[in-house]
Amino acid sequence: MKDLNKLNLLEALDGLKTGKFASVDLTRSCLEAIKKHDKKIKAFITVIEDYALKQAEQADREIERKGAVIFEGKPLLGIPYACKDNFSTKGVLTTASSNILSNYIPPYESTVTGRLGEAGAVLLGKTNMDAFAHGSSTENSDFFTTKNPWDTKRVPGGSSGGSAAAVASDMCIFAIGSETAGSIRVPSSWCGVTGFKPSYGRVSRYGVIAMASSTDSPGPITKTVEDAAFVLKIIAGKDVNDATTSNKPVPNYLDKEFSLKGLKIGKPRSFFELEIEEGVRKRVLDSIEILKNLGAEIIDIDLLDPRYSIAVYTIIQRSEVSSNLARYDGIRFGNDRESFGLEARKRIMLGSYSLNATLSGAYQKAQRVRTLVIKDFNDAFKKVDLLVAPILPCVAMKPGGGEDTSMFGELMDVLVEPGAISGLPGITIPCGLSEGLPVGVQLLGEMFDEDMILNVAKKFQDETDFHKSKPQI
Amino acid sequence: MTDKKISKEEVKRMAALSNLDVSGQEEKFVLLFSDTLKHLEVLDELDTSKVLETNQVTGLTNVFQDEKNSKTLTSKEALSNAKEPSNGLFATKAVFDR
Repeated sequence: MKDLNKLNLLEALDGLKTGKFASVDLTRSCLEAIKKHDKKIKAFITVIEDYALKQAEQADREIERKGAVIFEGKPLLGIPYACKDNFSTKGVLTTASSNILSNYIPPYESTVTGRLGEAGAVLLGKTNMDAFAHGSSTENSDFFTTKNPWDTKRVPGGSSGGSAAAVASDMCIFAIGSETAGSIRVPSSWCGVTGFKPSYGRVSRYGVIAMASSTDSPGPITKTVEDAAFVLKIIAGKDVNDATTSNKPVPNYLDKEFSLKGLKIGKPRSFFELEIEEGVRKRVLDSIEILKNLGAEIIDIDLLDPRYSIAVYTIIQRSEVSSNLARYDGIRFGNDRESFGLEARKRIMLGSYSLNATLSGAYQKAQRVRTLVIKDFNDAFKKVDLLVAPILPCVAMKPGGGEDTSMFGELMDVLVEPGAISGLPGITIPCGLSEGLPVGVQLLGEMFDEDMILNVAKKFQDETDFHKSKPQI
Repeated sequence: MTDKKISKEEVKRMAALSNLDVSGQEEKFVLLFSDTLKHLEVLDELDTSKVLETNQVTGLTNVFQDEKNSKTLTSKEALSNAKEPSNGLFATKAVFDR
């Protein structure tokens, strides 16, 4: 069979279950796509071809021996995926795209990749990112910049840019990313794929190279909403190795009849008052019309000015970065601190500054304003079931777009930071093209209300074909 | 909160606190930091005198776990990435001068 790599997750699973093809065929198809396209796209830092094929052969043996019933215990058996390079993978190079970890081979497995492995998924390799996830474009990778599959003169967004580009160019069936503020949703939007950022505490951070520990959230990057729900179900849930993971049971997502009739969707005025490219604005407003036609009531609401959230995020994130990156000394693993790139240095030093007495209580002030932002969202969710907004003010940019200002990442992420510091779950789904480049629309929900977001996103996707648009590579 | 403008000396002090060497680049950092700090001034607009801090957003409190759940690396695994393992230990630079 041809082009198996182009299948989405549920299609690929169906093929494996019914014996239409084997995991080796599927995995080889992805590896061939990587060989063909990745010289141009540069999504991967490491490809573990031999190991991937061995995992696939093992999966095929298990399927042959036990039949389709094996998928009940191993729901991702034989499915090849790509993983952002900040997830520790035992025995497989893990760099976080940083020179300081250029030679780091983790002696243990992150919970997310561990759960995917137990579910039978086949790891193809590790994807490029902004070093330590500091950035929104992959330009801050210490190794190379990933290209946007829709236009290789543009960046894919970041920091999970390699994962989003790998999904968009069908070099894998799905991918894993992580988000502190926008790092899943920004590249997913610019690459025209589905990106889901779960509630903080829904998915374990154990084994993820930390950026800002109070907002880091791993999540799936997929070809459809159903695929995102399927992967989330597997990686979500309590983990004894991450004390911040929630005890709340993980529901079976998308398993109930759902209608948008009677649903109230909030449209935050402040998010639409920003300077947004006309093409992007139009696509998002068209999406809101679609939601309305599906039966939702759209309600204009007022949220706190996003500028407050940006300031809060900047202080909290820098502070947590400076603390998290303090452990890198080149003695136990990795290289010495001279290897830190400019962006990491900037963030560490600003963090040291904001945690220091000289900035008289900046960190505490930020944590207080964070309380106000959370309260603001809680008030909003008393009036509406979820929020709809653009995810980015523009389509994918050319490299160098943010060099002039140290606030580049934050200005790009203006639409995601309020939700990020509050821990809220959110999705971006493709909602059409502008200037031939993908645009995403985001749905933001209440804490741990992943199912609501997924249901609304699925109804939107059922009504549209935007997720089927693919780049010409 | 941010009325204090950042100086070259402060950049040097932060570099020392951060265990980073930025000598020769201090001016560049002064400009970058001043730019960022300017964006933070907005927080002063809000009265937070009666607001509690949020340090984590899940609402969890006092999370304990059984000791039987704790995993640990073997000495060999822990040393597997060390530049200079020495007799089953990490070799570091001397802390005290003789």
